[in-house]
Amino acid sequence: MEEFNLKETNQGDISILYLDGFLDAHTSSELEKAFEKLISEGRHKVVVNFEKLSYISSAGLGVFMAYIETMRNNSGDIKLCEMSEKIYNVFDMLGFPILFEIYKEEKTALEKFQ
Amino acid sequence: MNDQNKIVITSSTKNLALVRDFIEERAKKTKADANTVNQIVMSVDEVCSNVIKYSHRFNDQFKIKIEVFHLKKQFKVRITYKGLEFDPNNVENPDMEEYFAKCKVGGLGIPMMKKFMDKIEYHCSSPDINFLTLTKNLE
Repeated sequence: MEEFNLKETNQGDISILYLDGFLDAHTSSELEKAFEKLISEGRHKVVVNFEKLSYISSAGLGVFMAYIETMRNNSGDIKLCEMSEKIYNVFDMLGFPILFEIYKEEKTALEKFQ
Repeated sequence: MNDQNKIVITSSTKNLALVRDFIEERAKKTKADANTVNQIVMSVDEVCSNVIKYSHRFNDQFKIKIEVFHLKKQFKVRITYKGLEFDPNNVENPDMEEYFAKCKVGGLGIPMMKKFMDKIEYHCSSPDINFLTLTKNLE
């Protein structure tokens, strides 16, 4: 049974979070901790790469809602990218593209911070 | 009742993956498309997550029973658990424009299952046993 793993890398003042596995009510606290760490470090520009994420529930979606305002209030943002069709459908069905920028490719998401 | 179509878990979020695998395996047997299978899996996940968090307050002394029924053109999942009465049909869907404008957090589980499933039936038997049945119509 797969788990949830998260990897963080930096490109200048942009942090990239790579999600792997599933993001549900059990694992979403890991993503919360990652965002808390970024905020404590003053890193408010975040790209989240979903390429290896196989599942997301409302608990996972809630994490993004919890931190988007803080990032934007500090001249940053949370940009999402590399979603599979399955994952994108969940975001899209609830209307998340209204609030979040979602890109096919990571490089495009990074460029949008320039 | 064929026990292959039933599982009982302790009320803990660590068991959500187990529930999803159980539902996915049985939903796939109906030959439903991947999107339909995922919608069923997600809906059951949302129900169980809510039960664990709100009905049982993360107390893993409680249990949740999940049963699946594959009828001719329907796939049903019945979730049985102890707790206070709560009918998700009585919860109004949030206005998503307002939701995003105010950056609200939480409360998306029930709208999700309402969107994904064709019917949500709830009843409570005394003293405090709840039955929530999710139905997905199959093509």
